[in-house]
Amino acid sequence: MSRQNPDPRVAAARIVNGVFSGRSLSDLIPQHLSGIDDVRNRSLAQELSYGSLRYYPRLHALIGRLLQKPLKAKDGDIEALLLIGAYQLLYLRVADHAAVNETAGAAKKLGKRWAVGLINGVLRRLQREQEQLLAGLESDQEARHAMPGWLLGELQARWPDNWEQRVSALNERPPMTLRVNRLLTTREAYLKLLDAEGIQAKANTTVPMGVDLERPVDVELLPGFAAGMVSVQDGAAQLAAGLLSLSPGQHVLDACAAPGGKTSHLLETEPGIQLTAMDVDEARLLRVTENLNRLKLQADLQQGDAAEPKGAWSEQDYDRILLDVPCSATGVIRRHPDIKYLRRESDIVALADLQQRILEAIWPLLKPGGLMLYATCSILEKENEAQLRPFLSQHTDAQEKPIEAEWGEARAVGRQIPPGEAGLDGFYYALVEKSVV
Amino acid sequence: MAILDILHFPDPRLRNKAKPVAEVDDSIRRLIDDMLETMYEAPGIGLAATQVNVAKRLVVIDLSEDKNEPLCLINPEILEKDGIEQMEEGCLSVPGIYEKVTRANHIRLRALDREGRPFEMEAEDLLAVCIQHELDHLEGKLFVDYLSSLKRQRIRKKLEKENRQQTETATGAHQVI
Repeated sequence: MSRQNPDPRVAAARIVNGVFSGRSLSDLIPQHLSGIDDVRNRSLAQELSYGSLRYYPRLHALIGRLLQKPLKAKDGDIEALLLIGAYQLLYLRVADHAAVNETAGAAKKLGKRWAVGLINGVLRRLQREQEQLLAGLESDQEARHAMPGWLLGELQARWPDNWEQRVSALNERPPMTLRVNRLLTTREAYLKLLDAEGIQAKANTTVPMGVDLERPVDVELLPGFAAGMVSVQDGAAQLAAGLLSLSPGQHVLDACAAPGGKTSHLLETEPGIQLTAMDVDEARLLRVTENLNRLKLQADLQQGDAAEPKGAWSEQDYDRILLDVPCSATGVIRRHPDIKYLRRESDIVALADLQQRILEAIWPLLKPGGLMLYATCSILEKENEAQLRPFLSQHTDAQEKPIEAEWGEARAVGRQIPPGEAGLDGFYYALVEKSVV
Repeated sequence: MAILDILHFPDPRLRNKAKPVAEVDDSIRRLIDDMLETMYEAPGIGLAATQVNVAKRLVVIDLSEDKNEPLCLINPEILEKDGIEQMEEGCLSVPGIYEKVTRANHIRLRALDREGRPFEMEAEDLLAVCIQHELDHLEGKLFVDYLSSLKRQRIRKKLEKENRQQTETATGAHQVI
């Protein structure tokens, strides 16, 4: 018998259950969707997986009120089906009876016939008592804002006046933004190519090569994608390369390069640089290679730990360093809603510690007079200005080079792009210059 | 270990009736390992020897997500069946087709394990369905045989077309090399 069942609800249940066991959506989606031939079923499975995690805190609370007793740990797939069913009833235009019947039927296909009645019962009650149930959650902040409590606290502290706006930006579906490869074409010419394909798009208002699509499409459908004419990258991430004032002949280090979006952008911006792209994860370095090959760009790829520089790449001085450190990714939750489930407050301390070690370890590799760009896709002070402030005071040869820009908010050090501002992901950039002694 | 070729409907060899395994020796155990590898790679949850063109009464099954609960049934015999289960089935020999089939939802059976030792077991739900599906293969029977002849005819046409296209692509690739 074959395993892959093309039922989109079964696939979504397996994906969401995979997140429950600690794996990421970006890891699980390709694995579980490859077996689904029908395009509509594939996009429904994806929608159900992302949607039920996007509203996880709310849906989880709702389901909790409808279950007589909690499910067993081994029945994560059934909990996933309940979330998927609730997501359809509350947020999708799937006919209610289909949402209930198909979702309950999926339990049978997962080999858990006993759960069919349970799912039917819970979803029917949700359907009937939706309004009262949602009203009952008004006082539950996590459920109301569909955001884990610790993160809600951070958002309220960071944006006391308009945190609700930030929360809803993080709950939105992300736009699909492209970066046109300036070495091969212009933005205007590429917009015409898109138009000819019937793909609606407009120029991004923040970055020079950015194009915002009206609605997401499969990359294979983008004209010239395989030939390297265009990449998929949020506008906020497209700001990095422009901040580094690149010029030909400079030695540049991209210290946490994978998957290579910003790496390739550095080369598109200034093909005359000598770029070393480094990452700790060998498997993820392959993604950098794929990206560079597609775009026909070249860099010296190195596997290494930015927190413990050793080997040839660390014995060289660099004019420019991009330090896109590992972070909580709290600024890009709209793209990775599984973060709501996977990320814990306790992770932040460990991440901040790693970021500090990387900063300390990489700083000596920068030439006097050189520039280092510290970047995160985090909205947390601990990973952003609170990281840079002590660094600047402890290193007398380091000065902030303030970023003058239309985008983002100036913080004590660096600039924070609030999630959703001008349609961008939440990002943080700080530029540090090394003084000439 | 090796990945074996899986026969596709309407290949007539899928209609062969399998013969009992006379002795469970190393060559049988090698076949079991190859069949498991082939099934995992497909990916599938059950595979009968008939599907890899070996006319022996032998099936392998693994329902686990982590591919770590292999079950091997040699010379299996169903002793009892009860209950009714309607489940959507798919088959590695009928790729891309999924249809509802009605079967018993509880069975008891006897078989030999990979050391040749006899054992009895009970199965229900998906495992029961999967075992019945695989045992059908040993009789030369496919799940599409339970469907209406019109539906079966449509599936046959679709797969014949796909098989033809695959052969053409393969030949094309050969010429390029």
